[in-house]
Amino acid sequence: MLESYYPIFLMLGIAVLFSVVMLKASTLFGPKRPTDEKYTTYESGMEPVGQARDRFSVKFYMVGVLFILFDIELVFLFPYAVNFYELGLFGFVVIWIFLAIQLIGFIYEWKKGALEWD
Amino acid sequence: MAEHILESISLFLPEIALTVTLCVAIIADLILKERNQNVAYVVIAGLVITTIFVLRQTGLTETIFSDMVAVDPFAVFFKIVLAVSGFFIVFFSMKCRELDANKKRIGEYYMLIVAMMLGMFIMVGATNLLLMYLALELSSIASYILAGYTKRARDSAEASLKYVIYGAVSSGMLIYGVSILYGITGATDIYGVNAALQTGDFSPLALLTAGILIIAGFGYKVTVAPFHFWSPDVYEGAPITITAFLAVASKAAGFAMMIRFFKVSFIDTALLDTAGVWDIVEGFQWNIILAVMAVLTMTLGNLVAIWQNNIKRLLAYSSIAHAGYILMGLVVLTDQGIASMMLYFVMYLFMNFGAFYIAMLISNKLDTEDIEDYKGLGYRAPLVCVAMAVFLISLTGIPPTAGFIAKFYLFAAVISAGWYGLVLIAAINTVISLFYYVRIFRNMFLIEPEGDTSKIEFSLSSKILVFALLIPTIFFGVYFRDIVDLAQASVKMFGL
Amino acid sequence: MDLYAFFFYFFAVLTVGSAFVVVFSRNIIYSAFALMFTFFGVAALYVLLYADFVAVTQLLVYVGGILVLIIFGVMLTTKVFSVEMKTGTLNLLPATLFTAIIAGMLIFVFSATDWNVVPDQEWDTTVYGIGALLVNEFILPMQVAGVLLLVAMIGAVMMAARDWTKLKSK
Repeated sequence: MLESYYPIFLMLGIAVLFSVVMLKASTLFGPKRPTDEKYTTYESGMEPVGQARDRFSVKFYMVGVLFILFDIELVFLFPYAVNFYELGLFGFVVIWIFLAIQLIGFIYEWKKGALEWD
Repeated sequence: MAEHILESISLFLPEIALTVTLCVAIIADLILKERNQNVAYVVIAGLVITTIFVLRQTGLTETIFSDMVAVDPFAVFFKIVLAVSGFFIVFFSMKCRELDANKKRIGEYYMLIVAMMLGMFIMVGATNLLLMYLALELSSIASYILAGYTKRARDSAEASLKYVIYGAVSSGMLIYGVSILYGITGATDIYGVNAALQTGDFSPLALLTAGILIIAGFGYKVTVAPFHFWSPDVYEGAPITITAFLAVASKAAGFAMMIRFFKVSFIDTALLDTAGVWDIVEGFQWNIILAVMAVLTMTLGNLVAIWQNNIKRLLAYSSIAHAGYILMGLVVLTDQGIASMMLYFVMYLFMNFGAFYIAMLISNKLDTEDIEDYKGLGYRAPLVCVAMAVFLISLTGIPPTAGFIAKFYLFAAVISAGWYGLVLIAAINTVISLFYYVRIFRNMFLIEPEGDTSKIEFSLSSKILVFALLIPTIFFGVYFRDIVDLAQASVKMFGL
Repeated sequence: MDLYAFFFYFFAVLTVGSAFVVVFSRNIIYSAFALMFTFFGVAALYVLLYADFVAVTQLLVYVGGILVLIIFGVMLTTKVFSVEMKTGTLNLLPATLFTAIIAGMLIFVFSATDWNVVPDQEWDTTVYGIGALLVNEFILPMQVAGVLLLVAMIGAVMMAARDWTKLKSK
């Protein structure tokens, strides 16, 4: 089984190598003729407003938490899905009980307005 | 398999009823827009149905869901204790003024109480380490949120945060211990663990490591020293109803799980010579560790309680001390010890809820939790203060109250197992505890009221609730034969 | 040294090394990013243990979700970028001693114990087996986990919603 992972490891290695080589190559061989204009954040766009390192809105956090919860739900669904035919009607009912509980949570969030941005 | 699961479901109705109650409560909260305690009525109805299902399980000794959960007299006994405490907490909450400030999300409050109860119901029956952990997490996560329910109050937020951090650490220790235990025994269900341990084919040091980590995880839940340090802050900061619930129900469920785990996993069935006395397998004398923890817990709880001025904090330390007394029952390795622990929980439920409820009533009226402000309250609110006095007498363990009977049976069980030193320390501790309980009593009755001396009136429903707690506290102190018999009959666990 | 051992030591060093960075870095953002490598290394170790489903879950939930949440959490905090974190300077001696004792004890336990091991063999993909177990033997833990997620959702909405009254009126 482990042999099937070798391409992944290989790809990881290439990805790391590629990004390091590219970055280093451009700093080593690229021409450097800096002007004030080139040092601005958006070379040909708008002037930046405020700092990038600002506080985030708590809403991002909320979305993040809800994302993880549904992510975990997905983890439970996946093993069921690959066995869909073998598990038959019984498995279908079981997974729907699980989903129904999640669905109530989802309706709760929706109705409480937790999914709305403003 | 499907037949087995359907059969299991028919024996799992109390928990299913609680789950359905949770779902109905969520939907009811969304539909019924007005926030006037509607969800509370849904929860009460759900609890009634749950209790009926629990009562129908009496006398059964079965295991369900592929040995995940046991339905046995032991579990049913604790489920009844939990259900009764659930009722009281919902009634308390409907009266609690502290919660009114957050009326907009009172629905969530009741939902989480149901979720916590569901977790505790599974805790008392679980026979598989995996499910034990999940149930523990379910009840813990619900209680983390509840501890921070009055989010805007600074103390409550602090309580919740401390609770989460300590809780995460100790549940990590628990699961780490469980994983080591699995590594030694190759089983997650406690009967399988027991079978592997009885062969004696394991390294004692790994078992010791696993055992200490698991004790740390359980000890956190039942607040025994040295894993108690979160509880005073959390008990002080959380809404008083939740404090009472944590001090009674959460502790009962934690102890039930702990008893089942230690008894079933480590029993040596080859050495069962005398009825009601069991031995533990070679390699890990967990009861010695628990004995040291019991002594530490009761001494520390009582000594620190003396210096407290906040009634919630005082009751928090007092409940730590009581956890220490209760733990003695497990140390002695007899069925008598466990029966007396179970008896203790019944008595403790009424007297501790009583003390918390009256602290809440006084806080509702006078907006204070300071014991110094109780001065002369005996003249202003005689009925409530007399009731408080009875609860405090009972908590100390003086006859003719329920607390005396509970302590009597507990101490008797420990003595008959030959642990005289332990009983001596517990007796000294009882005397120390008298000191701080008397202080409340003295402030209420022996000091004349200063300033405002007007009578304080309480509503009829509050008085009924006080009597509902007061009557059992006195009644069980006088007539206790049936409840003692029930506790002794309920020691029976599945497979033993 | 065979290829398996090479990969094992490579990812073990990656995991432990980046965990050190997480703990000792004075910049909390660096810590958060180092945590990504820790999670990733652990996922790779799962793969080496033939626990492919757990490895994918680790990537999906920890790297994909929890790490993002941690970074959000860092960014929610005021002035976190300029604040010097207190790491390693508090109770240095007792903490080091305590950690060393525990680490020594655990290493000794792990090396001295006769573990209950499964025979060394090539394993097939585990996801089919897990799927079958989840709806049979482990049906109850799965449903309890479902309720746990539901409670977590309620808690998240309750705790994170800053202005509750405004949310309610929507």
